Amino acid sequence: MKKESKVMAITLGIVCFVLFFVIFIQFRTIEKTDISGIEQMQEEQLKEALSQWKTKYEEVSSKLEDTSSKIKEYEEKKKSNQEATELVEKELETANMILGKTDVEGEGIEITIKDPEETDVEGNQIKLVEAEDLMQAVNELKRAGAEAISINDQRVVNMTDIANLGTRYIIVNSWQISSPYTIKAIGDRSHLESALSIKNGYVDQMKANGITVNIDDKKNIVIGKYEPKIDEDKMSLKYINNN
Amino acid sequence: MVLVAIIIGCLIGVLVGSVLPIIPYTISGYLAISIIAALDSVFGGITSSLKGNFDLKIFVSGFFINAILSILLTYLGEKLNIDIYLAAIVVFVGRMFNNLGFIRRYYIEKWTKKNKKQEETQQ
Repeated sequence: MKKESKVMAITLGIVCFVLFFVIFIQFRTIEKTDISGIEQMQEEQLKEALSQWKTKYEEVSSKLEDTSSKIKEYEEKKKSNQEATELVEKELETANMILGKTDVEGEGIEITIKDPEETDVEGNQIKLVEAEDLMQAVNELKRAGAEAISINDQRVVNMTDIANLGTRYIIVNSWQISSPYTIKAIGDRSHLESALSIKNGYVDQMKANGITVNIDDKKNIVIGKYEPKIDEDKMSLKYINNN
Repeated sequence: MVLVAIIIGCLIGVLVGSVLPIIPYTISGYLAISIIAALDSVFGGITSSLKGNFDLKIFVSGFFINAILSILLTYLGEKLNIDIYLAAIVVFVGRMFNNLGFIRRYYIEKWTKKNKKQEETQQ
């Protein structure tokens, strides 16, 4: 009997403990939760608001998806555009280099040609360097694979004119130059050099005429861009159809 | 001794319940229905003890299982979109009033009997 009542007392104590424990937690939950807004709304209203928010959410998320896919597309386009631009720029650069519109540098040779110093009986110099001599040198260099050539820092391009002006001057790119002439050429050094100095080649011919030719190997030669001497009004093209 | 145990249990329950952190608001609905079920069991237990057929096992099992079942039913109702907890409240509160009525009548009858006895002894 005593044991039974003990068991009953403990059990009822636990039951009461659980009951009051839960009740007080519930009290405090209700008390502390801010339900003023929610409480005043009817369930129907809440459901309506919920469904509205759901539709809005779906709309917005689909918009987001659209926009991000568009952004992706644009980025891809931008990338391909960039690649195309880079390609074109590279091509342009190469073209400019070939046309002589930019300063270039690289390995090559430097040729110095001087008028002979000896004079004949009458005191005239035997033979002066002529435009043909320079042209020959340029042609030899071109054939030997020179990528850029300049004469006294005048870039030799397709439009370059090399002509005699009297006996002592030569015109290059409409600039007047005189001895000593320095021809710079960028290209394979051994090719260029051997093209000029082979037996009975350019150097031998010049020497036979009493003209001294010096060839210098250079690891780094800088050749300036094409700067023709042109009048201002000649810059506007009249006869070339630009279409 | 039983009374002392009940009072101690109540006090500890109040203390612990006041100290522990609160639960989320959505769960408090389930807790409320389980509290109603437990209170119904308590009143049922008091009634049966007055009647003299109190069984500890029946009381304890009713106390916990009714609470859990009411929670499960409420959950089911929420999933089915029907307010089953209303039916549970009607049943539990109705039974609580029945039991309270029985307890009231029991004590009033006891009181009137006592009065009658006193009158008889005085006469």
